[in-house]
Amino acid sequence: MFYRLLTLNWRIYISNLNRFQLLLTIGYILFLGIMLVNLAGTAIVVVMMDSNPWMSMELPWLTPDIYSFILLVFANVFWVMHFSFTNMRLLNIEENRKLLGFGFPLKRLAKYLTIIGFCHPVNIIYNFTWLVFLLIQVDYAFQVPVAISAVALNYVMIYSIKHRFIQVVEKRFIAVVVGFLILVFVLFQMVSLFASNSTRIFAELIPRVETVNAFLSWAPGGMLIQTVTEYYGWMNAGIIFLFTSLLVGLIIIDHFNKTKEGLLNPGLKKAEEESSSLWKVLRKVLGRNAGKYYFYVMKHPYNRLQVLTLTVIPIVYVPLLMNVDFEIAQTILIPTILAGIPVALLAMGMANMYGYENREFLLHLQFPINIEKQLKERFLGVIILPLLVFYLITIFELLVIPEIGSPLEIFIANTFFFLMFMLLFVWSSYFQYKKATYSSFSYKHPIIPQKVTFAISFLIFSMGYFVFVPLNGLEWYRLTIMSTVIVVMGIYLWRHMDVLVNLFRNRVLMRLWNEL
Amino acid sequence: MERAVEIKNLVKRYEDEPVLQKLDLEIPPGTIFGLIGPNGAGKSTLIGVLTGLLSFEEGEISIHGMVLEPKNELEIKKLIAAVLQPPLLFEQFSSLEFIEYVCEIYEVEKEGLIEKAYSLMDYFDIKDFAKIKVNKLSAGSRKKLAFVTSVLVEPKLLLLDEPFEAVDVISIERMKNVIRRLKSRGVTIIITSHILEVVENLCDDIAILHNGHIKAYLDSVSRKELQKDSSLHEIFEKYVEVEQKDAIVDWI
Repeated sequence: MFYRLLTLNWRIYISNLNRFQLLLTIGYILFLGIMLVNLAGTAIVVVMMDSNPWMSMELPWLTPDIYSFILLVFANVFWVMHFSFTNMRLLNIEENRKLLGFGFPLKRLAKYLTIIGFCHPVNIIYNFTWLVFLLIQVDYAFQVPVAISAVALNYVMIYSIKHRFIQVVEKRFIAVVVGFLILVFVLFQMVSLFASNSTRIFAELIPRVETVNAFLSWAPGGMLIQTVTEYYGWMNAGIIFLFTSLLVGLIIIDHFNKTKEGLLNPGLKKAEEESSSLWKVLRKVLGRNAGKYYFYVMKHPYNRLQVLTLTVIPIVYVPLLMNVDFEIAQTILIPTILAGIPVALLAMGMANMYGYENREFLLHLQFPINIEKQLKERFLGVIILPLLVFYLITIFELLVIPEIGSPLEIFIANTFFFLMFMLLFVWSSYFQYKKATYSSFSYKHPIIPQKVTFAISFLIFSMGYFVFVPLNGLEWYRLTIMSTVIVVMGIYLWRHMDVLVNLFRNRVLMRLWNEL
Repeated sequence: MERAVEIKNLVKRYEDEPVLQKLDLEIPPGTIFGLIGPNGAGKSTLIGVLTGLLSFEEGEISIHGMVLEPKNELEIKKLIAAVLQPPLLFEQFSSLEFIEYVCEIYEVEKEGLIEKAYSLMDYFDIKDFAKIKVNKLSAGSRKKLAFVTSVLVEPKLLLLDEPFEAVDVISIERMKNVIRRLKSRGVTIIITSHILEVVENLCDDIAILHNGHIKAYLDSVSRKELQKDSSLHEIFEKYVEVEQKDAIVDWI
């Protein structure tokens, strides 16, 4: 029965993919493989660095204390990564709960779903890396079961905490965003201080490294290391093993109960009064149509997290890169990151245009309102917000970081960047509307999938090198080429907006109507 | 006399499969008109076509003397309001925001609108949900909200597809009451339903739709004549040619 359930969930997943997405999925699996090799490889290098004679010759400062320090920093940073990237994509409870109606036993279903939920490939990679990292440091056989149970406990705890954290984020979004931004800002200040005074700080740190190690060894990553570096004998190992196993069991039972509850009460949420000032603001700024569309985009928790990410990335990286004494980083990476923000917003807006709210958009067909007008307003709404951000960023660059180029260069480069991606998204829209089928921006799903985010990020950085790398004497040639292409793209986009609107009306809406 | 709805030779296909076949229908204004038929007869499709949610291949539709074609589309749609099955609502809005949004599209007078909305919601016991998100409402409350909204936009033609499904008994009576009041103000109401008793008591004229054709049109005169000897249920069975299949489940 477990096999059948696995097949069912696999089919639910696969049935939502087209060939292109299948290719992307294969790419994603390859990416996961590379990630596994990188993580496990780094762990091995860090552990082995003190036993390598070449290392001790090249790094004379690598005393046992400093080595422990590096090991602890790695373990704790890795723990933070593990916490951040533990994938919480839940199984399709709505589909799976239908099995209950066909007599599938509730307890068994909840048990199987709990097991499948814990086995996401990304999570397995992180746990496997922990095992590699810890087991190559083992000195005594009794440390092995303790290390394994500790890794399991660590995982289920992260899983459990994150599960609750996601719920908190959804409920208290603004408080979490503000809190997170403050935290990131403080962290950035610390990193920035460290980056600009690293020699002095490092010199002061070395004499105190023992104290720092004592602190780090009680942080989560440090505690995991202790399972393989301390001598505690078979008796204590047995007790620790039993205790951790008991905790793992309890947390899994808790999760099992939560799954069971979720299966029985899928929409168990208390109806509370909700004020939506966001809707009022967007309605005023963008108008009724585009305002409603953007209101829906911004109400979705995944989109909110995307906006959060878009806000956090420049806050963290731009000041950090400005403090790095590496000119290329400033002239290429900073403008690329900044130019990527409106592009990402545009992608988010256009990806959402393929779905999410389209079903409701159908309802407007019965109202006395012109559909072409509505569609145009929506397309304009999708463009206006990123365009506003684009201008704000350009002004910010001109005022705060003029060293990245002259005003004309910055403006042309940013415009080129923005229009280039807009054209890409419009083309993508055109082909998807024409086919009215699933795409990488599936119109059934409201968010940009991880795979597409990955591909777009790669494209943004590749484009960044093309647009922002300094050419000195040849700069004017590039500016001329970019300006010409901007004009061509502008005319092309202007002339093709109607085609997009018509395709949307004639293909996508008809398809959606059939799916109602 | 100008008809509220006049349909001539209407053909609607789903991927070459005809759902409405050369359908003719005339509905006088100020009538409560019941459309009954078995599952798949084409009732919801006909409502979909009249609302403008579905296109049609052949035929002509006139609403209050205006032919349904692109140049008249917006003017005609202003006259129509609909409650569909399932009701299509805007999930992220609160009930009141939804009402305001739709009324704004219909250009309903803003003055007094909120008071009217609250009183109607109160009448249907959904006043407490005014500021609750639509996606948190129960199936019955959703139906009632759609009904309230369709009344507030002051239509001349009200289309109700299975309006009583999932609605409690008290609210069904209140809905009927509102429908009768609308009729007295000259509004034409088209109702599809599987509950024959409700249709029988509420509607003036009734049509039986089967396989995309109007099999029978029973106006008040012909209904009286036909219903002397048989119930609406029996008339319905006769026109849709119900096959007696009880024998095939004798094994139960």
